[in-house]
Amino acid sequence: MAISVVMPALEMAQENGKLLAWRKKEGESVTKGEPLLEVETDKAVVEVEAPGDGILAGITAQVGAVIPVGETIAWLVAPGEQPPAKAATAAPGARATSAAASAAAAPTAAKTSAEPVAIQISPKARRLAKELGVDIGQIRGTGPDGTITSDDVQAAASAKASGGATAAPAAAEPLSQLARLMAERTTQSWTTVPHFFLQQSVDASALQTYQKKLSVGSAPGTSPTITDVLIALIARSLEKHPKLNASWTGDGIRLNADINISVAMAVKDGVVSAVIPNANRTPLATLSTLRRELTQRARSGRLRPADITGGTFTLSNLGMYKIDAFTAIITPPQCAILAVGAIADAVVPVDGNIGVRPMLTMTLSSDHRVVDGARAAEFLGELAVAIREPEKWLK
Amino acid sequence: MPETAQRELTFAQAIREALAEEMWRDPRVCIFGEDVAEAGTPFKVLSGLVEEFGAERVLDTPISEQGFTGMGVGAAMTGLRPVVDIMFGDFLTLTMDQLVNQAAKVHYMSGGTWKVPMVLRTTLGATRRSAAQHSQSLHAWLCHVPGLKVAMPSTPYDAKGLLKTAIRDDNPVIFFEDKMMYKQKGRVPAEDYTIPFGVADVKREGEDITLVATSSMVDVALGAAKLLEGIGVSAEVIDPRTMWPLDEKTLVESAKKTSRAIVIDEGYGRYGVTGEVASVIAEGAFFNLEAPVKRMGAMHVPIPFSPPLEDVTVPTEQTVFEAARKLCGKA
Repeated sequence: MAISVVMPALEMAQENGKLLAWRKKEGESVTKGEPLLEVETDKAVVEVEAPGDGILAGITAQVGAVIPVGETIAWLVAPGEQPPAKAATAAPGARATSAAASAAAAPTAAKTSAEPVAIQISPKARRLAKELGVDIGQIRGTGPDGTITSDDVQAAASAKASGGATAAPAAAEPLSQLARLMAERTTQSWTTVPHFFLQQSVDASALQTYQKKLSVGSAPGTSPTITDVLIALIARSLEKHPKLNASWTGDGIRLNADINISVAMAVKDGVVSAVIPNANRTPLATLSTLRRELTQRARSGRLRPADITGGTFTLSNLGMYKIDAFTAIITPPQCAILAVGAIADAVVPVDGNIGVRPMLTMTLSSDHRVVDGARAAEFLGELAVAIREPEKWLK
Repeated sequence: MPETAQRELTFAQAIREALAEEMWRDPRVCIFGEDVAEAGTPFKVLSGLVEEFGAERVLDTPISEQGFTGMGVGAAMTGLRPVVDIMFGDFLTLTMDQLVNQAAKVHYMSGGTWKVPMVLRTTLGATRRSAAQHSQSLHAWLCHVPGLKVAMPSTPYDAKGLLKTAIRDDNPVIFFEDKMMYKQKGRVPAEDYTIPFGVADVKREGEDITLVATSSMVDVALGAAKLLEGIGVSAEVIDPRTMWPLDEKTLVESAKKTSRAIVIDEGYGRYGVTGEVASVIAEGAFFNLEAPVKRMGAMHVPIPFSPPLEDVTVPTEQTVFEAARKLCGKA
């Protein structure tokens, strides 16, 4: 029996995926788990594995196409078998591999709105655009249902004619999926989540010493970094502060059972957050290796759906950019994010005298619907203690 | 156009005056129909004509629409200029063979030897609480037939001028009067005048949207235009006055100017007059349109007797206003 290959979704909210490449050709045989296609989803480029064994057939999606999640884009068939004629709907229980992909049995109602819409333009506006040499792809329609009207074309034409900076919006670069999503999600978070910020500077001498000690005898680029140690310390601190590892559900608070630390990583088009699952129970060496793998995959755009889902708390470290301190935007449904600056020598009081110490400034952004100032301060204080004596916490 | 009189007449009086003037002018003009003589029709449109012209020229017939319509066709072919009265437009169904297969075809099939200079006057329009068999607007049936002309006046002035033109026309003309409009008053010159067929009338000039309306819907469109003015939309209201011949040029030019059009007619919206007119506009003005041409007609149901139900089956000022507002993106 033919197995459908569907456009996977990472989250319920995802509407489309862009097909970047087929790793197999039509007619080629595929075994379950082999990379079958590459998809640019909302967050990253992911490899999608074959949902079963069979011969790839009935491909309906072309490379570059933006496809609603849940839509069948090809079939895996037995030798001699024909793919089902109508490949439009995912069969019930369509066997997609990742958990995310199975969530992709998106309701068809959502599909219509998700389909790439052709430009809606009135006949008059279309004629006028042609006459005036205006690119209708660059016009935002103001008519009913966003229809481009002749007024919109006239406005675009006069903006073009005046040649000034007013024409600039028309030349805006189209966003990649990732950049568009970053824009949408940060706007949504910043405008709907009541953020508040706590800041604390901590002496990082012990942290640096501990990290250096771990690197003794290891090849460069193999031992845990400051970020890795921070991930481990945060995860262990969160064990005692479940409210910081919680989610706002819309009408209540969910305390998350696992502590999965998202690590913000800069990539070409923006930022992605790769997840270290169960970071509180993962030995530091293992955590470090996993974090390195994730970083590499993120940079090459090869993160898999599982790599970026399930985070419960985010660490964003801009230390390598020599930033002293900064505030970060929470990634809902998480309720907190820790922004960490560079470790830099600073003049501080030491035992009543003036001393110089490597200082690290942490800024915790919290969702006030989930946590209050006192609880957040307790967590941050405990984390500061852990940073001052990492060896004790991570043994 | 003669403008001497500031006199006002009702729609019914304008019809009667046209008939009387034509009957004085031409002794061949006569009237056949049910209750046209003493009763002067249930709508009192013809009151006084039998006294003025006698029972030979204003002839009460038995209740047999097919019979006396056929009589009208024969009388027209043999030299009279009869005006046949079909009380309710719903009864046109009984006259179909006489109109469609005889009146409309004779001139063509006789190689021009015979002609049928007959006028058939009848009514249309709902909201009179007359139920499903006395409330329909079936003019589209006749617009569909080559060989018939169809006139649909919307004012007393147009009624008089168009009816005189109809009576003087050598072809069969079906003349539709909105039965709800008979008491409506308007300026009607006392003198003789005619209005040519195939010439639409711009009832109101506007810039943003064209409302093409027929017969009973012209007032509805004008009311909607007034409402639209309140939200800064300038509506042009055009009355084609005759559905065949149809003044395509005026309709298309108006739609080209405003870029948007709604066609409003009290006949059924489905497969109706609105579809034809909308198509003419879409073809003629396509590259000047900002929005699809919208049709508004009677709901596709038998007209209910229940007043609240009947009232929602036909376009109103408010529904036309809403549709126009949406089309103009002013929602």
